[in-house]
Amino acid sequence: MTKRLRLPTIMAFLLSVMIMISACSGGTGNSGANGAGSASTSSKQETSSGTNAGSGNDNSDPEPVKLSIAWWGSQTRHDYTQKLLDLYTELNPHVTFEATPSGWDGYFDKLSAQAAGGKLPDIIQMDYQYIATFSNNDLLADLQPFVDNQTLDLGRVDENIVGSGRVNGELTGIAISSTAMAVTYNPDVFANAGVEAPIPEWTWEQFIDAMTRIADNTGKLGTESLIDTQTFSYWVRQHGQHLFKEDGSALGYEDDAIMVEFINMVKSLQDNKSMPTPDERAQYESRGKEAMPVVTGDAGVRFDWANFTVITAGSNPNLKLVTPPLKGGGENGLWIKPGMFFSVAESSNHKEEAVKFINWFINSKEANDIIAAERGIPVSSEIRDYLKTSLTPQQQDMFDYLNVALQYSSPIDPPEPSGFAEVSKEFIDAVNKVMYDQISPEEAAQNFRKVANQILERNAN
Amino acid sequence: MKTILMKPMLKRSRKENENLVGYTLLAPWLIGFLVIFVVPMAASLYYSFTNYNMLRAPRFVGLDNYVRMFTQDDSFWISLRVTFFYVLVMVPLRLAFALFIAMLLNTRRKFLGLYRTFYYIPSIVGGSVAVSIVWKQIFGNDGVAMSLLAAIGIEQRLSFIGNPDTAIWTIILLGVWQFGSSMLIFLAGLKQIPSSLYESALIDGANAWSRFWRITIPMLTPVIFFNLILQIINGFRVFTEGFIITDGGPLDSTLFYVLNLYRRAFTYFEMGYSSAMAWALVAIIAFFTLILFKTQSSWVHYESKEGGR
Repeated sequence: MTKRLRLPTIMAFLLSVMIMISACSGGTGNSGANGAGSASTSSKQETSSGTNAGSGNDNSDPEPVKLSIAWWGSQTRHDYTQKLLDLYTELNPHVTFEATPSGWDGYFDKLSAQAAGGKLPDIIQMDYQYIATFSNNDLLADLQPFVDNQTLDLGRVDENIVGSGRVNGELTGIAISSTAMAVTYNPDVFANAGVEAPIPEWTWEQFIDAMTRIADNTGKLGTESLIDTQTFSYWVRQHGQHLFKEDGSALGYEDDAIMVEFINMVKSLQDNKSMPTPDERAQYESRGKEAMPVVTGDAGVRFDWANFTVITAGSNPNLKLVTPPLKGGGENGLWIKPGMFFSVAESSNHKEEAVKFINWFINSKEANDIIAAERGIPVSSEIRDYLKTSLTPQQQDMFDYLNVALQYSSPIDPPEPSGFAEVSKEFIDAVNKVMYDQISPEEAAQNFRKVANQILERNAN
Repeated sequence: MKTILMKPMLKRSRKENENLVGYTLLAPWLIGFLVIFVVPMAASLYYSFTNYNMLRAPRFVGLDNYVRMFTQDDSFWISLRVTFFYVLVMVPLRLAFALFIAMLLNTRRKFLGLYRTFYYIPSIVGGSVAVSIVWKQIFGNDGVAMSLLAAIGIEQRLSFIGNPDTAIWTIILLGVWQFGSSMLIFLAGLKQIPSSLYESALIDGANAWSRFWRITIPMLTPVIFFNLILQIINGFRVFTEGFIITDGGPLDSTLFYVLNLYRRAFTYFEMGYSSAMAWALVAIIAFFTLILFKTQSSWVHYESKEGGR
């Protein structure tokens, strides 16, 4: 009898343990970060609405407003942005926030679903890749009126940077930082391999040589990867051409040899083990930036944006920046780009309050003390001057880097065309097919051209 | 409760009352069914004839989406092929495995309840994100499987998940591992088979093999049929595993149909086209279910000859 009673109890216990374990392990992924983020937000909201109620008695405050805000980033960014929102609420007790931090992966999936439901956040961190798509569908508010009525002060922002947020004549994105593509390198890995540190004049030949020697001498990776459309876009621009046509209706370069040459280089790096296979890459790509091989000392270089060393300063303060390799006799391929925008949803009921926050984000010193150029170089010249006195070595590097990068730059291409996400995926697949020895580089280049043009044509209509 | 409801209504005809009560009790389900099932389905049918991108109002494009699907979209055919392969391999394996375990559990042993629970656990957690992540850790690069192989001297650069030839098999393995619910249904079916049949077969000298083929399998065919339909439908809907473990890769080797559909809708902003894909899937599943029902009479045996259906 006792046995009969006990057995189901044990089973029920085991079952609940299993379920708890699975629930916990589910939380270690992205959702963990999100969960933590939103949890802390809600607790903050309670305290802030408390102060709001308190101060509401003695002066007639404006209507309480709750702004929703979404951004992508790493844990570092989630943490300080939350601090920033709390500070803003402290200064403006009638404004509270509903924050949705997220990783880059899935960020725009989520936004599009919210757009479909007419529930876009009031303030949206927006990327150059997507601003055209969202603007063309009338989802983002034109903020020019707020600039005209002085709510948003862009007086200290370079007109080229402001202009990058204009789509079809409407100011739908306020650039909050500028950045450029950069090679982050780990000086220790170079030193241990007996390879001299890279300099801005280095060429692709020298790059390949350095990567190969790192792999040969230390068994570590030379470069994390090169297979992405940004790097390829840089490559194409060095050939004096552009990845896309001006109107985004087709690929912009005529000669498939450009892509074949690129694939051959990448393939040779993979074959001599100075670059990971797509499989090995997938293993670390899902980690946060703080755990990338270049940060942990397992790779020599990584192609990323200029704020990479600032983001990862907490994990490895020794990383350095250098411009991507040059093509002998080639053109200036780099470009200075808006790091990210803040956009305001057309559907927002609190556009003015949202713009006020963006204004504070760009122009206020106390805000930028907290932001500390983590999102890229601040757009306001006054803030840049202010920060210069208190820069960390990484921030100083980034500021210096952008000045160097400017010398190797040519004007920025128009925002990526609609359909870019799919083209990007097709590009990576085409190159990877060669990496898996399934097709030749020539076939890959031809296939990519055919598919990419199909996608672009379909999206142009 | 019932009497209170019924009494004032007695004046009306009894049938009318019963209908009213019936519909009242049915209402929560019915409303749910209409709001979260029928309406979205109708909407998606409409969207499948539009160029809806979720961001702006849809425009009617007729059969364009369907034409594109069958004539221009390579990824549609790739994902269809991947999904068919998955269903055709995974479902028979899962059912065979479920039947095998069910027969083991259909004996009188100690701790049977415990075993049954243990074997059912994978089905509870199986389709979840958590297990998919575990799978990724086991079969991925630097994973347990690769370390074990390396320990016995097999070094390879590609992990099971990273190799286009093996990635689908890791997901099939996960599918087979979730045999629990089929197993329980088989177990119930096995208990229904009268032991007298086995006894008389034993007396006639039938061995275990022929008892299995001539008694167990024929008597189980209704249950097999039921499981088959259920699992085929489930198989076509596979998503989480491909999404989490491999993200459709490498090189689209695990690009399941629903994953492709999801990507079209939410990554490439092609909700209209994606809706058309969804309806194509409905047609495919309906087709297979229909075929199965048609073949039923030739292989499914129901116990009583008269009016068994």
